[in-house]
Amino acid sequence: MTEDVEDPVVAKVSDYLDGLLTGAERDDVAAKIQTDETWKRTHDELVEARKYLSGMRKAKAPDTFAHEVEQTIHKRSAGAFFGRRTLGDRVPFGVLLIVALLALAVVGYFMWSSPTGSLKVDKKTTPTEKPSVSAPRP
Amino acid sequence: MSELERSLIRRLQRRDERAFRELLELHRDRVFNITFRMLGNRAEAEDVAQEVFITVFKTIDSFQEKSKFSTWLYRVAVNHCKNRIKYLARRHDRDRDELDESTTTSGVNGTIGGPMPSSPHKQLESAQMEQRLQHEIGKLEDDQRVVVVLRDVEDLSIEEICEITGLPDGTVKSRLHRARLLLRKRLSSHVGENND
Repeated sequence: MTEDVEDPVVAKVSDYLDGLLTGAERDDVAAKIQTDETWKRTHDELVEARKYLSGMRKAKAPDTFAHEVEQTIHKRSAGAFFGRRTLGDRVPFGVLLIVALLALAVVGYFMWSSPTGSLKVDKKTTPTEKPSVSAPRP
Repeated sequence: MSELERSLIRRLQRRDERAFRELLELHRDRVFNITFRMLGNRAEAEDVAQEVFITVFKTIDSFQEKSKFSTWLYRVAVNHCKNRIKYLARRHDRDRDELDESTTTSGVNGTIGGPMPSSPHKQLESAQMEQRLQHEIGKLEDDQRVVVVLRDVEDLSIEEICEITGLPDGTVKSRLHRARLLLRKRLSSHVGENND
């Protein structure tokens, strides 16, 4: 297969385009590209090929990709990973804590303000105001 | 490796599912692009890309922080692609080197990123060239295909490609030269045909 034989001009120009040549070697290739028709053609064709290759649009994974990966891991791990997500997985712990504290504060407020609430301080029946009971005289 | 990436890897090593999701978001498109360009078929590419991330989840403990995580990830992707190519070759699957039709109708399902040329004529021309290129990449030998996809499509450095493939610098460059030589010849003959 003649196609597989490495072409020294292609090799040099390729290295040149990849920025792998240094100093005198780079200048030498640059000069040949300027003056030699074969080198110039090779250079132009490689630049063109590389331009097309690097310009190929990027393929994007489908939207369902992540979900499918997780589901496959879930199945293969016999449910050990990526199972049904709990509330704690979906909502950050900090948010849950704040909501819980707010709920507690609301409950506390209602208990405090309710006339029958256990936290209500009934001034009329405070122990300090207990009526003194005088013993009946015999 | 950045501190953020290091922390993500450590969380992943503790099997933190959120860390895995973050990692998927960060790398899924690039991994998919590599598998798609290597295999030339969307369904196969999707399947292989999924296997890549499953392997990452399973074997993250074997990742040593000597190299970049992306290098390790791409090595896993390349190995999976090579295995799939061999498997498909054994099955004589003729579809493997056919460009998936969705490439040319990519705008419809939005799975190919990047801007399209403005005029319809340019769009058609660009899509045809891309189809042709993908076809030619698919005809390269596996080893040449790997280097050309990593270097010219993904724009990785020769050094990174050496790390990914485990090949010496000279071998990578020589495969790259051969691949470019073949592509150059085949593309110029195609341009010649079109001009005739």
